[in-house]
Amino acid sequence: MDIFANLLLGLSVAVSPVNLAYLFAGVVIGMVVGIIPGFGPSAALAILLPVTFGMDPNGAVIMLAAIYYGSQYGGTITSILLNTPGESSSVASTFDGYPLAQQGRAGPALVMQAVASFVGGTLGVILITLLAPAFSQVTRSFGPPEFFLLVVMGLSTLIVMVGGNWRYGLISALVGFALGTVGVDLETGQTRFTFRSAELIGGIDFIPIAIGLFGLGELYYAFYTGMHLSGSGGIVQYQKEKRFWPQLADFAETRFALLRGSVLGFVIGVIPGAGATIASLMSYSLEKSASRTPEKFGKGAMAGLVGPEAANNAASSGAMVPLLTLGIPGSAATAVLLAAFVLWGLTPGPLLMAQKPEFAWGLIASMYLGNMALLALNVFAIPLFVQMVKLPYRILAPAVILVCTVGTYSVNASPIETWLMFAAGLAGFFMKLHGFSPAALVLALVLGPLAEQSLRQSLTISRGSLSIFLERPTCLWILGITAVVLTLGILMRRSGRGR
Amino acid sequence: MRAGFLAAILLVAGGYTWLAFAELDYLSSAGRLGPGFFPRIIGVALVVLCAHSLYAEVRTSREALSETWRTTVVVAAFSAAFIVALEPLGALLSMILFLGATLTYLNRGRPLQNAALALLLPIGVYLLFKVWLNAALPRGILPL
Repeated sequence: MDIFANLLLGLSVAVSPVNLAYLFAGVVIGMVVGIIPGFGPSAALAILLPVTFGMDPNGAVIMLAAIYYGSQYGGTITSILLNTPGESSSVASTFDGYPLAQQGRAGPALVMQAVASFVGGTLGVILITLLAPAFSQVTRSFGPPEFFLLVVMGLSTLIVMVGGNWRYGLISALVGFALGTVGVDLETGQTRFTFRSAELIGGIDFIPIAIGLFGLGELYYAFYTGMHLSGSGGIVQYQKEKRFWPQLADFAETRFALLRGSVLGFVIGVIPGAGATIASLMSYSLEKSASRTPEKFGKGAMAGLVGPEAANNAASSGAMVPLLTLGIPGSAATAVLLAAFVLWGLTPGPLLMAQKPEFAWGLIASMYLGNMALLALNVFAIPLFVQMVKLPYRILAPAVILVCTVGTYSVNASPIETWLMFAAGLAGFFMKLHGFSPAALVLALVLGPLAEQSLRQSLTISRGSLSIFLERPTCLWILGITAVVLTLGILMRRSGRGR
Repeated sequence: MRAGFLAAILLVAGGYTWLAFAELDYLSSAGRLGPGFFPRIIGVALVVLCAHSLYAEVRTSREALSETWRTTVVVAAFSAAFIVALEPLGALLSMILFLGATLTYLNRGRPLQNAALALLLPIGVYLLFKVWLNAALPRGILPL
């Protein structure tokens, strides 16, 4: 009953005309961001974060969250029509989405991905509605040892689950932690690594780093891979008039894939560090192994498109659970959302849902409406977004660099922060080029102060003994879940290498 | 290339670790864990991991440079020049020049399209940030 009353309260916040306008703006921006390869929701959120300073926190977070989950919808359009994922979480959608388009079924594939995204996203929000309050109750008993272990769990999951060399992932995370130590030590008031610069006393600003790593860095990497040379020549045309709508058989064939993808995606999304990309790839493997015709996968199987799409959208909903109830982001994009919460004076964590119900439930209620708006946009405004896909990268990329630079400068009118963004852009390019993980760096930068504070508090409580992490039952649970997730990750990497 | 990148991180990590040991206390005056505790752990871990990875990389590296390097370097140089010009020339003029130069390099053979984009897009971005969002953008030499 409490849940129902809270949801009604949230709906009353979300349906105010201003918040509806922000929600709609957010889903459209999210779609556009999703379509542009090499420009993800993390950079878009970081650029738009300063824009929301003057806004009401409810409206601002509704818009930013809509950009985040809206980008999951948009990323698939290029996967299907161009064989180029707009987002890393849409990689699995290229496996069968593009072959479907080549077979003249681009229309049904686009509609089915929209339906799958809607089902995954909405089921994810229903699960948040049901589980987040209970989760919030459980996490109220968490102390410093639990929070430290949750940070370790999130980062180690991210490092092991995302492909590439784990050592480079760990180096990225350690660099993020190191950057997080710059500024004033909150316990003693002593300055660290500031080199007597007044600009560094408050620490390294998160916004220029995120814009540089995920905006400029990704764009430079796209130039390096020659994306500006390819144009939109490979785009598959689709017919709006005939053979656009899916057939009943498509729905019948994929109904279980929709459900499996949604549930799997949500569970993966809740685990800090796992995220939408892992969820979609795991869903693809699951659908292939569950199918009676696995040989069709990779050649245009609708279940191979629908499962991962439902999974990545459910995962983006699931990622809201640790963010809202623990204040622990699971990905770079949710790390930017956390930064946004903190800027507005909100402290995500066990008490957020009890102390600021209109905020937490307003966000959850808006996600129902946002998914509906995205479904309508995806089905009825596809031609508009397809025109965007046709824009050559050589024109799109300079425009994005322009927005990144002006967006960073406009925050504090600071040339130093603009140069910091540029340096982060170059670092992001080299990190991507050499297999390092910008996401781990940003996540560690955001979580670093929490990790340090909770580790120091834990060791002070235990008088220096590490056994505090093994004595508390909740710590043992977190360690157990971490061990299972890491073992799964290692097994996945080994099986991937074997193939 | 990767070895160079790892060496650069190792160098910075070495400096960070040295400062963590030389300037930051392990324990605070109250006898609790001090401001140097966490940076020392991070610094040592970073140095050990980077040194090990660099050693492994130097032993196995066989890399060739790609042709697209040139474009990447040119676009990065244009971005840097854009930031340099931002305050002296002002946001609008530097945006027009940056977009004009970048599009001329990337989108060759379409001077009219490039000129139109280089003019209209910066005006749109300027109006968005300056007029609609009331953001602080440098005025520069234009009387705006």
